[in-house]
Amino acid sequence: MENLVPITRLGKFFGGEDYALDTGMGQEWLEGDMNFTVILYRIDRYKTKTDDVYGEVLEDGVQFLAPVELKGLVQVMAPTNKFLGNSKVEQQEPGNMKFSLYQKQLDDLGVEIFMGDYLGYYETEDRVRYYSVNDDGYVRSDNKHTYGGYKPFYRTVVATYVSENEFRGL
Amino acid sequence: MPFPKQIKKTLPLVPKKELSARREQLLEYINKDGTYLPKSVLHADLDRGMLDFVKTSLEVTTAGNIVPMLDIIITTQNWSQYLETWKFVDLDYNPAPPFMTVVRSPDVKYGTNPALQYTIPNRKQFYYASVPTWDGNVQGMDIYTIPQPVPVDITYSVKIICNRMRELNQLNKIVMQTFSSRQAYTFIKGQYVPIILNNVSDESQMAMDSRRYYVQSYEFTMLGYLIDEEEFEVKPAIVRAAQVFEIDVSTLKKRKKQDSLVQGEFDFNFLFIEGNDILSDVIDFTADMKFVKSNNVSSYDVYINNNYYGSDVNVVQITTNDVLRIQVTKEDNTKESNILFENTLI
Repeated sequence: MENLVPITRLGKFFGGEDYALDTGMGQEWLEGDMNFTVILYRIDRYKTKTDDVYGEVLEDGVQFLAPVELKGLVQVMAPTNKFLGNSKVEQQEPGNMKFSLYQKQLDDLGVEIFMGDYLGYYETEDRVRYYSVNDDGYVRSDNKHTYGGYKPFYRTVVATYVSENEFRGL
Repeated sequence: MPFPKQIKKTLPLVPKKELSARREQLLEYINKDGTYLPKSVLHADLDRGMLDFVKTSLEVTTAGNIVPMLDIIITTQNWSQYLETWKFVDLDYNPAPPFMTVVRSPDVKYGTNPALQYTIPNRKQFYYASVPTWDGNVQGMDIYTIPQPVPVDITYSVKIICNRMRELNQLNKIVMQTFSSRQAYTFIKGQYVPIILNNVSDESQMAMDSRRYYVQSYEFTMLGYLIDEEEFEVKPAIVRAAQVFEIDVSTLKKRKKQDSLVQGEFDFNFLFIEGNDILSDVIDFTADMKFVKSNNVSSYDVYINNNYYGSDVNVVQITTNDVLRIQVTKEDNTKESNILFENTLI
């Protein structure tokens, strides 16, 4: 049986019930009222076909677990104009996406986000942009991700735009 | 044991040309579709040659698809980039990896090709060809001269932008095989121009918080040369002119007297045979008779219509139907004598 240690800090004026109430209200606002939806494509790391040396996926060889809809706060950074290396081929590089979500949502769904998983975000009805997770936010011990230092309650995932050559949905 | 993929099922029946025949073949390439002179090879031609070389000799195929290449040298005009990349852009109209591009260093340096370096000063003209000319009348030769080409070194970077290591490997294999003898050649307007592989460098983007992709750069130097047709000279050389004479071979007819009269002047010879010293004649024209010469005549008297006109006169004026009489005193009566007058019609 798992050992559970009660959290008693801030106990004189804040406790587990307050924490549950506040995070519950926040979750309802974020997931119910705001309702930003992101689709998580989790890579099936066992079935995906890769080469033996580089571990790179073969052409159209990526295998996915069932996509999951996640609700959270979506922030897309501004694009930047830059050259591709020193090639002098200029392009407008789309900005990263910061996706903040309640950990409870993941726990309830029984899913986890890992580095390299893909996120799809519908910008318009017919246009979806895909991102690759480069920071899964698994470590959420910092004060920012805790509720006033009481307990961690959300995580921030940072994902980078990927071209269709790498991923184009299912 | 792997089975060779390049199976040649037939043998070439036409042998490749060698030595002098090969040189003539190369000259035909240079002169093809033009004059006897080579065509200009300038910066744009060398750039085009490099693009063609990359497109054909360094073509990369992965997963059955040819890795596209920007078929231009990227310049300051952004729209030209899009013009070339629109076939392989993503939703954001950014060129989607994998693709290849050729970047030219804008600075073109004096060439290091040892065959052309500082050998001939002052742009001296050299004989290139003698070209026959014919304008319908004159046949000749023109001498074509050109100066020594100017060597230039142009640095190019061939870059591959991709997401997979195997695409890098594929290009690297092709480059190493092509440049296993350090240099390869591109074919520009009938001329082989050498390209040298200088360096391979990696410019991959591996930052944590941005998109990752491989950029690998192969630096090449083209040992090119500039040929400018504005510097060619054409001078005339030997000219052969054909002159034609036409000769009338028909028999000449004796000139008629009337013809002589028409011309206005004719001779009148008075011949005094042996024993005769007087000649008389009715004149049918009006003229001035000028004494020209005489032979065996000491003196002569002139009578017109039996009237004495004068002795040893130089000019006798006569009119039509006059009766002219000339009486001579011979130097030797045993021989004939004559007096020659030149008549001018009035």
